[in-house]
Amino acid sequence: MALQLTINGISIGAIYALIAVGFAVVFNIMRFSNFAHGGMISACAFISFFFQRAFDPPPPFFVTVLFSAVCGMGIALLIDTLGYRRIRLKNSPKIYYFLMSLTFAILIEQILTVFFGTDIYGFPSVFKSQTFEIGSMIFKTMNIVILAVSVVILVALVWMINKTKIGLAIRAVAINADTSRLMGINSSVIVTVIFIIAGVLAGVSGVFLGVQYGVFPSVGPSMMLKGFIASIIGGLGSLSGAIFAALALGLIEMFLTFFIGATEATVILFGIMLAFLFIRPQGIMGIIVEDKA
Amino acid sequence: MNILDITGLRVWYDKIEAIHCVDLKFEEGKITAIIGSNGAGKTTIINAISGMVKRDGQLFYKGKLLTDKSHKVVREGIIQVPEGRRVFAGLTTEENLLLGAYSLENRKEISGLLQQQYALFPRLEERKKQDAGTLSGGEQQMLAIARGLMAKPQVLMLDEPSLGLAPIITNDVFNKITTIREQGITVILVEQNAKKSLSICDHAYVIENGHVVMEGSGDELLHNEKVAHAYLSTTVDEIE
Repeated sequence: MALQLTINGISIGAIYALIAVGFAVVFNIMRFSNFAHGGMISACAFISFFFQRAFDPPPPFFVTVLFSAVCGMGIALLIDTLGYRRIRLKNSPKIYYFLMSLTFAILIEQILTVFFGTDIYGFPSVFKSQTFEIGSMIFKTMNIVILAVSVVILVALVWMINKTKIGLAIRAVAINADTSRLMGINSSVIVTVIFIIAGVLAGVSGVFLGVQYGVFPSVGPSMMLKGFIASIIGGLGSLSGAIFAALALGLIEMFLTFFIGATEATVILFGIMLAFLFIRPQGIMGIIVEDKA
Repeated sequence: MNILDITGLRVWYDKIEAIHCVDLKFEEGKITAIIGSNGAGKTTIINAISGMVKRDGQLFYKGKLLTDKSHKVVREGIIQVPEGRRVFAGLTTEENLLLGAYSLENRKEISGLLQQQYALFPRLEERKKQDAGTLSGGEQQMLAIARGLMAKPQVLMLDEPSLGLAPIITNDVFNKITTIREQGITVILVEQNAKKSLSICDHAYVIENGHVVMEGSGDELLHNEKVAHAYLSTTVDEIE
């Protein structure tokens, strides 16, 4: 039982990690909390839901994930072009980014509600056999798939940030944007790359959330909060901290839900976040980030 | 020959004009110093060249109009080493150097360039895996200069390289600057340490309140009564 709960918990934690990292990369570079991320996730959940249903027989699951990732990327770039770009060019205060991101989050959720209502759409079943057994233990196939895909994506992302030229440039901009310009780094290219990463992560987490919880307009914003908690606990701006915190959060949530119930579990998670803000506001990785909005 | 030729440069911060119609010429392969007191506009001038601030006026680089996009200025070979070093704390010394070479098209040159910088600044090689934020002030200044050299500059603009350094390290930095000139790199040296910079430069401008108030060779200005009084806090007799 404990092992199954652990696997399920890590699998949920892996989705939180995708969200938390999507949040953290934008915060790292742009220095604001991109609440539009939740809206992007909801939109991608709906897109993948209709994509999966549009074909008979349904497309292989990885095609749906890929399609959703591409759409997420498109939505992220659209939001950046319509909203953030203008703020950037005018060099306006950070609070405008924050307001803009909230506006987009609410706008996307409301548009989805207008068209699809607040009902929960069940994601069509993806695999022929929903579960498999190893010895006496039963695992959900989807949990394992989610875990595997998330690990691959996160490892690839961390590799890119730590080992490639563009990754080094991203880290430099995160440390000091002005000095990066003196290195010949084109900041608008970096911002575009950041929104591509965030969009892909939103797209993939959108499919996974849709599959696990069903598809509804507030699926993204409500689950984004968990990613947000993870990125706070991990230390806003620290990718490895966010991943670690998200996995821990998934595990804690799974065990709490099993033993005391889902509603209470959420309360306790926010309690943990509050405790972190009191005791260690810089997060577990201890990176101090100033000027947050 | 002038590698950089600036006429009628103006820079505004909001509504306030900081640089008032300044003309500057920089001869290829020479050290040109820009001296003046704090707040005179020295840093603003090189930020204007780097495309870091909005500017007006004509900047000709190798006979062609210079772009005002900061990343393209770097690609043209005009590199700024900013005031206060601004090394990337949290990244290693070597990663800082690699960032200096960010604009280079030919990635094969990079290991050779790294070796050149390590030969010029042996301390950096000892510290190459160390977080740049933990280096001493002098080491950070060396790193900032080496990072600039990684971009294969044709014009290297150094902003207050002696700021906050002990006199013996300041001497070391100025020695390196003359070595850089020997490599054929044009140097623009912005300094408050007027005496030191005038003694190594070929030509110098004195900036006051956003105007050029005087110019001449380093020697001329070093022996000018006004300069001595205002910037060297001494008299010409004492220098001699």
